[in-house]
Amino acid sequence: MPNVIGETKKAFITGNEAVAWATLAAGADIMFGYPITPQNEVMHYWTRLAPKHGRGFLQTEDEISAGFTVCGAVQAGKKAFTATAGPGNVLMQEPFGMAEAMRLPLVAIIQQRGGPSSGTVIYSQQEVTLTTFGGNGEGHRIVYSTATHQEMYDYTIKAFNSAWKYRFPTFVLGDGYQAKMREPLEMYNPEEKGLEIVKPFPLVGLDGHIGDNREPQHLCNIYSMEEELYEVVLDFVKDYNAIIPEVAEYQAQQCEDAEIIILTHGVVSRAADDAVKILRSQGIKAGSFRPITLRPFPTNDLRNVIANSKAKTMLIAESAYGQLDRLVKQEIYGETIKIENLFMPGVGIIDYDIISKVKSII
Amino acid sequence: MSLVKIALAGEGGQGVQSVAEIIAEAAYNEKKQTIYIPNFGLEQRGGVSIAFIQVSDERIGAPKFNKADVVIALSERAVDRTTIYSDANTLYVYDQSFKIDEEQLPEAKKVLGIPAIDKANQELHPRVFNIIIMGAVIGLTNVVSFEAAKEALENRLGYKFEKNPNLRELNYKALEMGKIMAEESLKEGVAK
Repeated sequence: MPNVIGETKKAFITGNEAVAWATLAAGADIMFGYPITPQNEVMHYWTRLAPKHGRGFLQTEDEISAGFTVCGAVQAGKKAFTATAGPGNVLMQEPFGMAEAMRLPLVAIIQQRGGPSSGTVIYSQQEVTLTTFGGNGEGHRIVYSTATHQEMYDYTIKAFNSAWKYRFPTFVLGDGYQAKMREPLEMYNPEEKGLEIVKPFPLVGLDGHIGDNREPQHLCNIYSMEEELYEVVLDFVKDYNAIIPEVAEYQAQQCEDAEIIILTHGVVSRAADDAVKILRSQGIKAGSFRPITLRPFPTNDLRNVIANSKAKTMLIAESAYGQLDRLVKQEIYGETIKIENLFMPGVGIIDYDIISKVKSII
Repeated sequence: MSLVKIALAGEGGQGVQSVAEIIAEAAYNEKKQTIYIPNFGLEQRGGVSIAFIQVSDERIGAPKFNKADVVIALSERAVDRTTIYSDANTLYVYDQSFKIDEEQLPEAKKVLGIPAIDKANQELHPRVFNIIIMGAVIGLTNVVSFEAAKEALENRLGYKFEKNPNLRELNYKALEMGKIMAEESLKEGVAK
């Protein structure tokens, strides 16, 4: 694969620009998109970069079409992706559902904005439920929640690998802050770091004869018999459960001796890290847990962390009104650790907010 | 250097975001940790534009903050909009020419009125008002060296300076004027 980055280099850019470079480095062939803030610059940078590197771009008539064109391109064996936010994420759930049904290696970057509806163009963590479980029926997907520009770059590359390796639609869940702010990161050519880039392959128009020298491809999103669908869905469940140990990721810090565990995801985990440092300097033993994959959720890891921790309380903090909280509670059903909440829908959370909350509950 | 948090606010077109970007770029070039985030609401449709900058030697946490170390309001409306970012530890800076009542000014460690608009109009050029403000930020915070600021200006506006070398001189003068203005007002500023 061509090295589009050159020598590993430091850069001081926006998250959207980091995503555009990462998709290029991951070998994406084409982006299909429709403008919406705060992801617009993913498109803008991609349209600037793509022609120089022989890659493609198509602006479709809306988000539904952008999602479906990605579904089409990946079947032709092209690494295709899209990026969206807010109401655009709602519209794309139909094509995302098709990708779940047909096991298409679709990649989508979601930069969360405030809601409901058009809400704000700025920031939130209110698209967790939609991005993890937004499809109808019970499809499967992989969702990475990033916290820094470095992670936006790293996990965008990883998203293409996961999508093409496991054939589940894969999402990078960022937010408006990460999209628009500038901070330093290191950009690299993945292969120089020893990262293998999974090669795309066509799903249709294959050589050979079915039953003769190859198996048939089942690319189907509708079945005439309920028993057929039942089998397919159960097969998906089996495939997905088998990859969870490989795919699920998390970070835990200083939970063993902690009296309280602060659980956050994405950009809010930066505030949680600072809060842990400050609280410990004041004699309050805090620890932090952060799921990096919101789906599959690192359930066993969190259960283990709770079991090996002295903490009697867990604080779940999010820039939403309980979406992460619901996700966590269903995953760790049966645990007796007390759960407290800091819900700040659509606004940023800083270390001070978490520290004040911790002090009010312990 | 410990963490410095700066909020810069003005009208669309005053160059708030450009100045913030140049300062952040200069800090990055000096190998500091820095985050710059624009308030990218609907200011293109007539709101106040705010830039949030953080500079530190250590990794920076959350991209936004509740209270700033330095707030600079570049318009009368920006004063109203930025009072929430000021508290007893904040240096609050506004332009002396604003027609505002004492009560409109927020709680602050020090409130500084600087004559940036007048000086830009009378001694330099209205266009470099934002560069005077950039100089003032540096004079107040020392987040970047004067040399790094000049270099970042050169990177950003070099192509314009090539066409008209007088512009380079004008911008450097504005930068220095802002810095001196800020340092003097720090000496004279009164606690509110």
